Amino acid sequence: MGYLGQPLARLEDARLTSGQGRFIDDLRPLPNLHHAAILRSPYAHARIRSIRCDQALALPGVRAVVTGADAARWLKPFPVGVKVAAPYYPIAVDKVRYAGEPVAVVVADSRYTAEDALASIVVEYEPLPVVVDPELALSPEAPRLHEGLDSNLVHQRTFSYGDAARAFTEADVVIRHRFTFPKVHATPLETYGVIAHYQSSEDTYTVWSNFHGPFTLHSVMAAALQVPGNRLRVLVPQDVGGSYGNKSGVYPYMVLMAVVSRLAKVPVKWVEDRQEHLLASSTGTDRVTWIEAGFRRDGTLTGLRMRYIDNVGAYLRAPEPACLYRMHAALTGPYRVRDVEVEALAVVTNKCPTGLIRGYGGPQHCFPLERVMQMAAQELGLDAAEVVRRNLIRACEFPYTTPSGGVYDSGDYEQALARALERIDYAGWRQRQAEARAAGRYLGIGLACVVEPSGSNMGYIALAQTPAERERGLPKSGCAEAASVTVDPTGSVCVRFSTVPTGQGHETVAAQVVADALGIAPAAVRVITGMDSWTQPWTVASGSYSSRFAPIGANAVYRAAHQVREKLLQMAAHALGVPADALELRGGYAQVREQPDRRVSLQRLAGMAHWHPAGLPAGMEPGVSATAFFNLPTAQAPAADDTVNGSVTYGFVADAVLVEVDPETGRVQVLDYVTVHDAGRLLNPLLAEGQIRGGLACGLGQALYEELVYDATGQLLTGSFMDYLCPTSAELPPVQLDHIESPSPLTPLGAKGLGEGNVMSAPAALANAVADALEPLHVVIDKLPLTPAAVWQAIQAAKQRQPVEERVG
Amino acid sequence: MNGSGQVQLSGSVNEVWEALLDPAVLAQCMPGCEELEHTGEHRYRARLVVGVAAVKGSYSATMELVDVQPYQSYRLRIHGEGGPGFVDAEGLVQLQCTAEGTALHYTYTADVGGKVAAVGQRMLGGVAKLLVGDFFRRLQKAVDRQVQANRSAHLPAGG
Repeated sequence: MGYLGQPLARLEDARLTSGQGRFIDDLRPLPNLHHAAILRSPYAHARIRSIRCDQALALPGVRAVVTGADAARWLKPFPVGVKVAAPYYPIAVDKVRYAGEPVAVVVADSRYTAEDALASIVVEYEPLPVVVDPELALSPEAPRLHEGLDSNLVHQRTFSYGDAARAFTEADVVIRHRFTFPKVHATPLETYGVIAHYQSSEDTYTVWSNFHGPFTLHSVMAAALQVPGNRLRVLVPQDVGGSYGNKSGVYPYMVLMAVVSRLAKVPVKWVEDRQEHLLASSTGTDRVTWIEAGFRRDGTLTGLRMRYIDNVGAYLRAPEPACLYRMHAALTGPYRVRDVEVEALAVVTNKCPTGLIRGYGGPQHCFPLERVMQMAAQELGLDAAEVVRRNLIRACEFPYTTPSGGVYDSGDYEQALARALERIDYAGWRQRQAEARAAGRYLGIGLACVVEPSGSNMGYIALAQTPAERERGLPKSGCAEAASVTVDPTGSVCVRFSTVPTGQGHETVAAQVVADALGIAPAAVRVITGMDSWTQPWTVASGSYSSRFAPIGANAVYRAAHQVREKLLQMAAHALGVPADALELRGGYAQVREQPDRRVSLQRLAGMAHWHPAGLPAGMEPGVSATAFFNLPTAQAPAADDTVNGSVTYGFVADAVLVEVDPETGRVQVLDYVTVHDAGRLLNPLLAEGQIRGGLACGLGQALYEELVYDATGQLLTGSFMDYLCPTSAELPPVQLDHIESPSPLTPLGAKGLGEGNVMSAPAALANAVADALEPLHVVIDKLPLTPAAVWQAIQAAKQRQPVEERVG
Repeated sequence: MNGSGQVQLSGSVNEVWEALLDPAVLAQCMPGCEELEHTGEHRYRARLVVGVAAVKGSYSATMELVDVQPYQSYRLRIHGEGGPGFVDAEGLVQLQCTAEGTALHYTYTADVGGKVAAVGQRMLGGVAKLLVGDFFRRLQKAVDRQVQANRSAHLPAGG
């Protein structure tokens, strides 16, 4: 039996738990390193009339002060996937459009001096009217953010699959409702950090940062800096302290510090503080969804219509408006419905710009869809679990092509749901719920079934363009990741790959993959993480996002390891005088199967490849090293009918949660949580459990605690962890995990991503549970987070809606 | 953010009014006031050092009295800017003669921005109340001193 599938402890943890990790703030890669601090706008919308830097520049230790006007001389606006006249620079040039937008950068000999100097810069602002609500931003009277645009609408597309009009005429009941999803943050432990150096002799920018891709953004940065890709060297340290998508958004600061280094003529280091991070790093997209769902009397979902309004903040910046399209291939979720229409809008407002965040687009999509499944059950007088089950795609239907083009590769959704219902004792709790209600207690059971896409196809982002626009450009497809496996002259193995992990445990799994391929122990494999865009293979799709290590990155390692394996077997066959297919690699040896005494060590084989190429089989190259680029042919460009297979693998999550709600205080208590995943083959169950629990913590936060709250003047009111509430381990409920393994038939390893599913499912499951608990009070649950205050207000609103006589009673 | 309140001051309406418009008295009474400059009729420039929760910093402020109805009421507009952010406030102060002296009624609204809003908003209401209370306590002392001084001045010389 191999190492894959075993709950191997993380190889990363020895250094992390002994303080030997190397993070961006630990790096001192150059002499004469100076430190930057950023002056940020206190206004959410204002014209910059003047910036006076003379006092700051006169302070001892201050090297330079860089304003937007200075920086813009060396920059072009960042490119973005759709054409929109709303130029985005990493620093405000003549106007600020969100509170916290960079206005000036001080470079000094210490961070203390730089921070103190900020107070000496005098900026004269002319405040402008502010809009933060995406629907208000669409009104003709709304303040306009960008002078080049007629309105704040920066993107709009409509899609139609099947015949939704007919589907709705066939429906017995149509549920129509408006849902809002809050703006949330990913809050990794480590904030952004950048060290930038401009070398004039080579006209080259070198930037160290805790950036993890997608490396599409390398092209975006090079375009903004107006240099060819090979004059922007990006280095990522070995360790990154968490991201959950957030650190892809460090790229504007990488470009900003690159230019600041050029202007200050010294290498510059900037490490973001927590207040800056909450205010102005990269945040989730708040969304308004209008959903219409048609059902037959028996609970069959006949058709879906959705209108999304995504609030992308002050600028539409890459990879937005992709949040609208991440779930596009899985628009219909795990359900068999074929007729669906979508209208997707992106709106700019005076809030922090948005970007990747764990589950990107998924929580926003699953919350309304799963809520209407439960609302339909209530309306039709059916059991919620029965309505869900009736509509699930059957195990025999895989691979299943969704109306919008997703190809679900494998799964057994019914079994997963049945397992979840059984583990939570659904039938038993329905009984106890009835008894509790009679006793004046409010218990609720919530379900959520979600399809979890993993391994994004770069092509899905092109849905933001019309088929005609796509026709004119280079088609976009693919999901390739790169890996190298090298055996050195001593016979030891190094692995390098381009997934830029941020704490997930890629090193451990890569070591398991290589250990199995080469017949050695995982601890003997040296896995080198981080990134150097100059010296290692990578692709435009590389990076740590869309749960792409299990379905793609690990397979790139597998391919490279197997190319090395093949070469070692050929060499051993030559040395032992047997055919290669008679050999196996085991325990550090190539040996003849069932004749383990006929063997040659890997050390000797490697030695031969390096020291004695003359002894190799005729025509064989010296050295033992392979680089593989792994891509899946199912990652195609969008078709002319706007269908696209947005991801390469699709897992499934069935959640069942039990809550009790106190109607006096609005407090939601989670009594039990069951989550059943079907994520294909589990590469390492221990890491899988960690990913699931982490994803669930994020989802729980979005359901019950977290929201970036802005006031009407665009001021962020949740700028510290006093007010932006993240769940800690103390808030996590008891969680029961279970797995079904339906391996992906598309990849050698058969694994799918599983770290994002519960971010998608938990907000929906908990909202359904709270709605179920408060059903006797006719409470409407259509926004998050379900804080005690929000639940209490929803209860009061329901009381107001009830007829007077009922209230009196 | 907004607020309102009423304080009872011992001293006539005239005495209270004079104190409220005396730059020297204002400079003494305003919490954290490090400089106060009279820049024109009913106009002042000030440097204030104020802390809200962990956000302490220096603000340069302009203050303007408008709609001045002598011995009755005025509106006060304040705009302050500094490292921690900005404050835009407007208050209405009304005086009324009572048996005990003068009743002063005030209302205010304030918008804050920047770090002070993002980090301190939970504390702002409380801090505002504290600052306003502090101002009136000091004002009472100033009025008392003024009243005392006036009375001394009116004592017949040599008894």
